[in-house]
Amino acid sequence: MKDKTLVQIALYAALIAALGLIPPIPFVTGIPITAQTLGVMLAGVMLGPGRGFLSMLLFIFVVALGAPLLSGGRGGLGVFVGPTAGFAIGFPFAAFVTGWVALKLERINLFSAALIGSLAGGILVLYIFGIAGFKLVTGNDWASATTVMAVFIPGDLVKAVITAVVAQAVYKGLPSAVAVKQA
Amino acid sequence: MISLYFPGHSRLHCLPAGIKLSGLAVISIGLYPIQNPLWLLPAVLLVILAYYSLGTGGLARMLITKPLLPLFVLIFAVQWWTQNLASALVLLQRMLVLILLANLITLTTRMDAMMDAVLPLLSPLRWLGIRTERIAFAVALLVRFVPVLMAVMLNLLEAWKARGGGRAVWQLAIPMMINAIRLSDHVAEALAARGGIRSHSVDASPSLTKKS
Amino acid sequence: MQSREDDRSEHSVLLDQVSLARDGVEVLHTVSLTLTEPRIGLIGDNGSGKSSLIRLLNGLLQPSQGDVYVNGIKPTDGPEVMASEVGFIFQNPDHQLIFPTVLEELSFGLRNQGATKKAAEQGALALLAEHDREHWAERAVHSLSEGQKQLVCILAVLIMKPRLMVLDEPFSALDLPTRLHLMDWLHSLPQQVLMISHDLDTLADFDRVVWLDQGRVRGDGVPRDILAAYREASQARVAL
Repeated sequence: MKDKTLVQIALYAALIAALGLIPPIPFVTGIPITAQTLGVMLAGVMLGPGRGFLSMLLFIFVVALGAPLLSGGRGGLGVFVGPTAGFAIGFPFAAFVTGWVALKLERINLFSAALIGSLAGGILVLYIFGIAGFKLVTGNDWASATTVMAVFIPGDLVKAVITAVVAQAVYKGLPSAVAVKQA
Repeated sequence: MISLYFPGHSRLHCLPAGIKLSGLAVISIGLYPIQNPLWLLPAVLLVILAYYSLGTGGLARMLITKPLLPLFVLIFAVQWWTQNLASALVLLQRMLVLILLANLITLTTRMDAMMDAVLPLLSPLRWLGIRTERIAFAVALLVRFVPVLMAVMLNLLEAWKARGGGRAVWQLAIPMMINAIRLSDHVAEALAARGGIRSHSVDASPSLTKKS
Repeated sequence: MQSREDDRSEHSVLLDQVSLARDGVEVLHTVSLTLTEPRIGLIGDNGSGKSSLIRLLNGLLQPSQGDVYVNGIKPTDGPEVMASEVGFIFQNPDHQLIFPTVLEELSFGLRNQGATKKAAEQGALALLAEHDREHWAERAVHSLSEGQKQLVCILAVLIMKPRLMVLDEPFSALDLPTRLHLMDWLHSLPQQVLMISHDLDTLADFDRVVWLDQGRVRGDGVPRDILAAYREASQARVAL
């Protein structure tokens, strides 16, 4: 791996931490939307599947080491044994799938590619991890685990749209920044 | 430096990170067979005692679980409804014990000690051509640039408020994204100007959290 | 730093008919310069090619035509090889400081030169002591002021004992006292210094100033003449 790639991966992971500072937006379901998972979807689109994966892996690794980088200043090993552990562990995979799908769809416009990628990676994949983690921690069956976790989904649907909007805006401002459009 | 580490000299602080980590693994597996809520009570009390042993401010560190409270209530209610009260109590206590214990390790172990404990476990990655020094370098870079990008973020938030603000604050993700990408170009150039990352130029970052 | 013989004859930068294209646009046109003076300033408008020119000196950029020599070495092998010859200081310290603490930052260069971890840390501490900054070793880089950060940048580069220091508007974000202090300190170093600056006063006591204009050398000589000519040209353009 080139040094430049490594720097990109590390700084993007730092960016995810900074996005955690954006105050959560209260949403209709009562579960606030944080900008951080927005960053996870964007990682896949901006860096592409491989680098997006590594960047998110680095991020959760440093969170596990004890850095309070998750939104709301959360971090440490507690995150990885709690009921939402699956989501944190799913970050790299969500970023990978988001980037991979967006890359496969490069023929259509960036907005749609990023939106479909985010739905696949940032929602489908992330929730598979999230629900599996929840099931493992709480011992619930799939159905009730899914029911509990479903309260987060409306907010994340909004995020997928925002991801697509942001990706398009960044592409306009700095075309070289969007990896899935460079192939 | 950014870290949840809680400086101190308690017995837990002095235990090697590797032992604490394997202890957590053993306890987390050991807790699962327990189905009687009363039997978990001692475990909860022991954990509280452990936080108390950290010294002044130790107990307050248990508040880290506060953001999870709504979720706990929800899980408890669902469990009670679908199963029974006893299993809901078991579940709640087990989750609390595990989270608090894991957090206890984070509180009493410096990030560099944790890194030293974990890096050898990653050495098989060499077979895939990934050198652990580069992982350590990436961690150091991340720790270095979190405050930089957080400062940029706070500036943008201030400017956002100064200009009237509004709900669509997520739009700040756009300049943040562009900033971060420009920054990484500059940093990569500066790194190259200093000779780049050599195999011998770094190892497990010696001072991840020396000063707070 | 004093350990190196301060022999000015081996301080030399040579550009021979150098042209450089970036993204298909030619930013330097057949520039030839021989730079041997200890203190050299580089001035010119934004986009005149200053930053491109200095990036040729350590191989961050490669010339499309012509040859570059720094102390007799061609920087064609890239910055990895040149890092020990040319110390490069950027405008924004936050782009350059890559480690969380000062000690790690300073050790990095020595470790890159092959020193063991222990030797590198000792070297870093010695350099800090030499500049009366021992107490900085464990400081978190982000807790330093801008001036202190820039000082750490320079120390981090000095530790590799380069013969040439190249600075790209290093002090533009600093307040006046900090700038004067750092300039003073910079002048005390034995290294040859090549510095880009928009603050013309800073260059007044340099040995030589080169003025770049649209990728060509427009003026070259003692600061008094060149700085005055540049000032005049800029004002004439405003008057239009």
